[in-house]
Amino acid sequence: MKNFSNKYIYIYSVVLVLIVATVLALLAVGLKPYQQKNIKAEQMQQLLASAGIKVERNVAEENYDKYIIAEYTVNGNGEIIDEYSEGKQQKGSERPFDVNVKSQYKSLKGGATDVKLPVYVCKKDDGQTIYIVPVRGTGLWGDVWGNVALKSDLNTISGVIFDHESETPGLGSKITDDPNFAKSFENKTMYEGDEFVSVKVEKRVGTQNPHAVDALSGATLTSNGVSAMIEDCLKFYLPYFNTLKK
Amino acid sequence: MEALNIFIKSVFIDNMIFAFFLGMCSYLAISKTVKTSMGLGLAVTFVLVITVPVNYLIDKYLLQPGALTWISDSFANVDLSFLSFILFIAVIAGIVQLVEMFIERYSPSLYSQLGIFLPLIAVNCAILGCSLFMQKRDYSNIEVLSFAFGSGIGWLLAIIGIAAIRERLKYSNIPPALRGLGIAFIITGLMAMAFQAFSGIKL
Amino acid sequence: MSEIAKKKDPLFGPRDMKLIKTPFSKENPIIVQVLGICSALAVTVKLQPAVVMALSVTVVIMMSNVIISLLRNTIPPRIRIIVQLVIVSFLVIIVDQVLRAFVYDASKQLSVYVGLIITNCIVMGRLEAFAMSNKPWPSLMDGLGNGLGYGIILIIIGFVRELFGSGTLWDIRIMPEGYIPNGLMVMPAMALILLGIIIWIHRSRNKDLLEKE
Repeated sequence: MKNFSNKYIYIYSVVLVLIVATVLALLAVGLKPYQQKNIKAEQMQQLLASAGIKVERNVAEENYDKYIIAEYTVNGNGEIIDEYSEGKQQKGSERPFDVNVKSQYKSLKGGATDVKLPVYVCKKDDGQTIYIVPVRGTGLWGDVWGNVALKSDLNTISGVIFDHESETPGLGSKITDDPNFAKSFENKTMYEGDEFVSVKVEKRVGTQNPHAVDALSGATLTSNGVSAMIEDCLKFYLPYFNTLKK
Repeated sequence: MEALNIFIKSVFIDNMIFAFFLGMCSYLAISKTVKTSMGLGLAVTFVLVITVPVNYLIDKYLLQPGALTWISDSFANVDLSFLSFILFIAVIAGIVQLVEMFIERYSPSLYSQLGIFLPLIAVNCAILGCSLFMQKRDYSNIEVLSFAFGSGIGWLLAIIGIAAIRERLKYSNIPPALRGLGIAFIITGLMAMAFQAFSGIKL
Repeated sequence: MSEIAKKKDPLFGPRDMKLIKTPFSKENPIIVQVLGICSALAVTVKLQPAVVMALSVTVVIMMSNVIISLLRNTIPPRIRIIVQLVIVSFLVIIVDQVLRAFVYDASKQLSVYVGLIITNCIVMGRLEAFAMSNKPWPSLMDGLGNGLGYGIILIIIGFVRELFGSGTLWDIRIMPEGYIPNGLMVMPAMALILLGIIIWIHRSRNKDLLEKE
């Protein structure tokens, strides 16, 4: 073994760290656009998918621009804070698409009052207008989230899509993987008369109940999580929906 | 309340070993007797409780997108999160070294118990894993502490459990090819199944 | 070991092949040396993440072996562990960033386990045991062999767990309609038991690996 002086050791470490940091910084800057594009495209793809428009990820952005005609953020009183449509910011300062839904829901849960959450308005080829809202909650192991698309009566669900961080593969993960689960939400309604009852996920409800869908077998806690998520999150949007209906 | 839930969750449900397989290498290598496992388990808990909060602060005030705004608003767009792996591991290696020197200086008796395990811990995946989970799950200050402590206790529980079983196994008649490592894995699997029962707890 | 580097050998000659082959059976990093288990089990619920993980680890071992081997005479022994950690984390960050940019779905599935390659004992173990005292080319071969030896176990476990646990392979349905997936297979517990069984089979065939107790 050779002997190394302290000076050599210091210089060695500094040079090593500098080289490593420079290369990493360059790489991170270089790859960032690709990474963000992936995240953005996935988000757009999922928004469209909940409205029943299935597109490949690489064409998600152009289809998004075609079908989503407006983005809003609304607060708990149903007032519009930001608006983005026709390719530019119409009101407010933040593009609704860029709002961090995760942290907004977290502060909503923590009792904050200045929460704003996005609503997307989608115009389908057959002329239907669909309102899409993002939802977020917790499942068995980690977060679950998704989008709920409502028909223009703001009562009937047109479609949903869910994703999850770490639900049990093959059981809880079916909220994402099993197309029948998402499909079972279609045409369910969240109002019984004038009363908000949400769309619940419960055991053995069959296909007839207008306000509930069958839970996933073997994934009770994930199902409960999804049920609570839909109820809690839709509740936030009710004032906005009420102003829309008027 | 939330902090207590996180503690229970990380001890029993999200157990580092049974649910995430983290720290398996030292878990299998050092679990031959209860006494040494106890030492290693305590050392892991100790290091977790120090490193996870430190990494939390680093993440919050240095790495996250927009974390540098406390210096100046012009840094709002800086995102250093790509450096998190390297900084986390450097913090862990550094703190382990510091803790080792500190214990050696002030508590020779504790050092004789934990000392030999400390260098092992720097490369224990449970330590780095905990910091990475913390970064993904965005906890608040107090939650981070209870998460780190809970994960450590969960790890301690797991290693003491297997060590106790392995001490008894010496007297069992196991097929030769399964002796030692093979049976240790299968027992860990059975313990993991038992711990799975906790996932029904509603917190 | 350093003997290997001194003799002249043709590319992929018998010595290179030996370096690649031994990790597959006699010196398999997972089932014989018990290294790198942490990440081995968590990513094997499905075949696809297992393959991506195996490839990522192989790339990291090979690259870090070569880099450390090139630097081996310049690294001061007192700081060699930290130098190794820096090089390994450097490579892991590159892998992570590249996965995020180009294989986004796989990187989502692997989540924190990509970062945990840093503390994967196989990588550090090979650096200490081989790369610090050997020339770059044999180090590359050693890295390739160990990476693949690690990968093969991951792929076997991933194969069994996905086939029986989800009834699919590479997300394509294999089992006939009506097969009820075995929920136990996707649980963490089953990965451990499967690994125990693999060790059992392997040791029954290689008597010299038996543990004396």
